[in-house]
Amino acid sequence: MIELRGDSLVFSFPDVHPDARLEVELQRTLRIPDDGRNHALPPGLGCFPLRHVDDHAARLPAEWVRRGGVMLPMYQAEALWIRFRSPAGYPFAVKVATGKINAVTGERWRDGLNRGPQDYVAVPGQPWLDGYVVEKGFIRQFVAMPLGAGYTAEEQVTGAAEHGGLQVMALPLKREAWERMVAERAEQARKAPPMPRFAAAPAPASMAMGLGAGGRMKQEIYRDTMPMEDWDLRASSRCFVHIANSLVWRSITGTEPPTVPPTAEEYTRAGLPWFDYYAEGRQAVEGSGILAAIKSVFTLGKEKGDVPLPENTPVDPVHVVPLHEKPASATVREGAF
Amino acid sequence: MTTLGDFLRERREALREGDRRYSLRQVAQRVGVEPSFLSKVERGESPPPSEDTLRRLAAELALDADTVLALAGKVSRDLQEVIRRRPMLFAALIRELKDLPDHAVLRLVREVRDGDW
Repeated sequence: MIELRGDSLVFSFPDVHPDARLEVELQRTLRIPDDGRNHALPPGLGCFPLRHVDDHAARLPAEWVRRGGVMLPMYQAEALWIRFRSPAGYPFAVKVATGKINAVTGERWRDGLNRGPQDYVAVPGQPWLDGYVVEKGFIRQFVAMPLGAGYTAEEQVTGAAEHGGLQVMALPLKREAWERMVAERAEQARKAPPMPRFAAAPAPASMAMGLGAGGRMKQEIYRDTMPMEDWDLRASSRCFVHIANSLVWRSITGTEPPTVPPTAEEYTRAGLPWFDYYAEGRQAVEGSGILAAIKSVFTLGKEKGDVPLPENTPVDPVHVVPLHEKPASATVREGAF
Repeated sequence: MTTLGDFLRERREALREGDRRYSLRQVAQRVGVEPSFLSKVERGESPPPSEDTLRRLAAELALDADTVLALAGKVSRDLQEVIRRRPMLFAALIRELKDLPDHAVLRLVREVRDGDW
């Protein structure tokens, strides 16, 4: 079951276990420059507002309503990262796709869990996902672009602009496997560390956005070490997150979208922190050949003679806060601006 | 059932025990009303203030705004608007659920619908 609580998607599986509860947040952030360098983690600037599409059905295209789910507003060239929290430490396998292209492997969406290559992230080990896994230990940031202009990962992989948006599916560990884990780690009392890092007429089709590849960032997707048979493949919940252009958000919902976030340069010049994350003893998955081959928004823009990214100045963060996977540290990845 | 005045006064005085800034005069000043007015409200000697004043009072005293409004015999504007837009539906809903125990009401969840994709 999925509920919208505030601006979080809360997945729960009461038939599996009362502890099986996963919170997924879509965080606003800075767009990191696409300058060939590898960047640190940008801060969270607060959640994107999420709304049920059903609540605004009269102002949305029929396909959005058919797909169900929720929607959020993004400006062209705005970036996003996804935060995963399992408050009780209950393990989940979470698949993330953009335009139904898997963000970890570049493969087309399919149900179930797959390995070789691993096409999901394992929570709570994985606190967040900032983009497409282009190389082992590196991602390209999720950046919003209008669907249909050729920039999104979906369009580059499939040649079509059919879906857009973001898709999330979660499935829990089996109850018996969890109970075994709880018994084994009773002494460790290891809870998931709180890891805050910081219309009228139906709208025209161009308001639909998808995600493309932005600048490069150091980020590992951790290899799942659970035995495959411990995942409860019968219990899964999925959600389609539509992305609407912020410029039309008001005409759809009657409320203002968040303001345009600061540029990486403005933020860094203000001396505000970037982050570096380190998890001991975990292996990273290999990058996806498919995703490594997609062109970034900046590169495509140059080829087309467009300027899709208004601001791409390189930055040199002076203030990088190290975060690590230890419950003791008050790990905050937030930047008040 | 507590009156609005008693509820506000008891809360303000409890806060004042730990912090002198919760005197009648200072709270009134921060909320933007005359101390004599706030005093009358606390003693039930004046009709309740406007929704906006009640909200500021609730915020100042860290009280739930809907509770304060209800004690004042008011329903917040946003709830009124919800009912006004579909009066038969929401009136029926509230009447149907009015005697449901707390835990049963809290179990009524709105699920995110997964459609066809």
